[in-house]
Amino acid sequence: MTTYQYLIDYFSELPILIKLIGGLIVISVILIVGLTIYLKGIRRYQRNKKEEILKFKSEYEVLLIEYLYAEDHEAIKEEQNSFCEWVNKLELQPAISEEKTEEKAITPVQQAIISKLEKEVLIKSKRKIIISILYKLMDEVSGEMSVAIKELYCKTGLVNYALSRVEDKDWSIKAKSIGELSRFEIKEAHYEIVKSIAHPRKEVRKEAHLYLVNLFRFDGLYFLNELKTPLSEWDQIQILEILQKFEDQQICDIKPWLKSTNDTVVLFALKLAQIYNQYEINDTLIDLLSHNNKTVRIYAIEVLTHLYGLEAKDMLKANFNELSLEEQLGFFTMLEKLVIPSDEPFIEKHLFHKDFEIQLLALKILKSINIDKYIGLNNLPGDEKSEAMLKLENTF
Amino acid sequence: MNKCKIVLAEDNSTLSLLLKFRLEREGHELLMAKDGKMAIELIESHNPDLILTDIMMPFISGLEVISHVRNKLENQVPIIVFSSAGQEEMVLKAFSLGANDFMGKPFSPNELVIRVNRLLVQNRQPQV
Repeated sequence: MTTYQYLIDYFSELPILIKLIGGLIVISVILIVGLTIYLKGIRRYQRNKKEEILKFKSEYEVLLIEYLYAEDHEAIKEEQNSFCEWVNKLELQPAISEEKTEEKAITPVQQAIISKLEKEVLIKSKRKIIISILYKLMDEVSGEMSVAIKELYCKTGLVNYALSRVEDKDWSIKAKSIGELSRFEIKEAHYEIVKSIAHPRKEVRKEAHLYLVNLFRFDGLYFLNELKTPLSEWDQIQILEILQKFEDQQICDIKPWLKSTNDTVVLFALKLAQIYNQYEINDTLIDLLSHNNKTVRIYAIEVLTHLYGLEAKDMLKANFNELSLEEQLGFFTMLEKLVIPSDEPFIEKHLFHKDFEIQLLALKILKSINIDKYIGLNNLPGDEKSEAMLKLENTF
Repeated sequence: MNKCKIVLAEDNSTLSLLLKFRLEREGHELLMAKDGKMAIELIESHNPDLILTDIMMPFISGLEVISHVRNKLENQVPIIVFSSAGQEEMVLKAFSLGANDFMGKPFSPNELVIRVNRLLVQNRQPQV
């Protein structure tokens, strides 16, 4: 007690500044100790949570595997036989036989697993774990197994949670749930998801577009009819990738999209025309050569080249001087593929074009249709030769 | 078919479990590795009849596992590799390192069982 009194007296006699510093030190120490304890608590909580997740994960993984391999055909057969005997006894065969056919796909073990999971999915954290397991496995397996996973997703009621989240005001939740429904191929969500094809957030729109294409293939592309928002290059690539996965490559009519007021839709339709060799739409492609957007015009030339659009050649040749440099280059690339001997004067006229690449292409084309004239160019005096001729001097 | 020892190197625990269950039902003994490092340890200590390995794994990749088996251990045990879409170059590398077969993800476990059994039978037949 005397010691404490001595310390208190000693402290009260100290100058005010020392007292302040002492007080600060004490507060800091208390804070540091408090925060350390708090951090330790958080770490322990996180560790426990992680362990819990791992525990649930391994538990659900086992359940999932059991579910997927529970189709013990012998057991089903036995069950059906005993069921039929029981039905015969009751003389209610026709009515219950139908019921039996509907029920036979699920074994008692599978039903028990479904019932257990139905209860578990009520808890958000557990629901997340179950979905992540199903998601991961869907990426790894195909065939009957993936069909069974989709069935389990529906039967455990997980689909209802995703459907309810499609209506969520938060765009990230909405986009995620559309992605989930697309992954598990839930066609029933179609009417809800269609509402999101013109959503203000591009992430939601993208998921809605991918959903439609993933589930309804070429028919799902109908969203392009009314699309006013831009379809990014990345979205286009993703849609094309999905379309190419399908066995049935019978494409629908793409003409309306080529006439769209949305330039990105036109560009996407051009990609479709090129990939799916749409020879019958050459007339619509020719109309695009006078489109307001230069990118569309250049790409239309490229697609026409791919589709052997000879009709476009004369039109472009006549308007050559009005074309932009990129279009002129595109046209020469077209000529490289579709050249005929009567094009020779036109080629000769552009041997000295201001653009080096066009000069090169003109020389290359001339070589393919009139090799003598091409060799003759080598005799020209050095100062009369074009840049491309000088570059190719040694190859004559 | 007699019981065969198979090393399965796959970092996706659910897929590992699924394949373990399926292959054990076929009568094989499965040794599971969650990464390439563990796979090499299992291969060295158990001398398996077949190896199933994913290409992308933590620590040591599937390609390194194949290279270790073929070049360092000089073991001609059949190897099947799994690869995801877009890893075609990796698959070619795997074949050049000495893999016997490959399966692109997503794959059918039933198809994998057929391939495993076929390779095991081929490996048992005396070389002419």
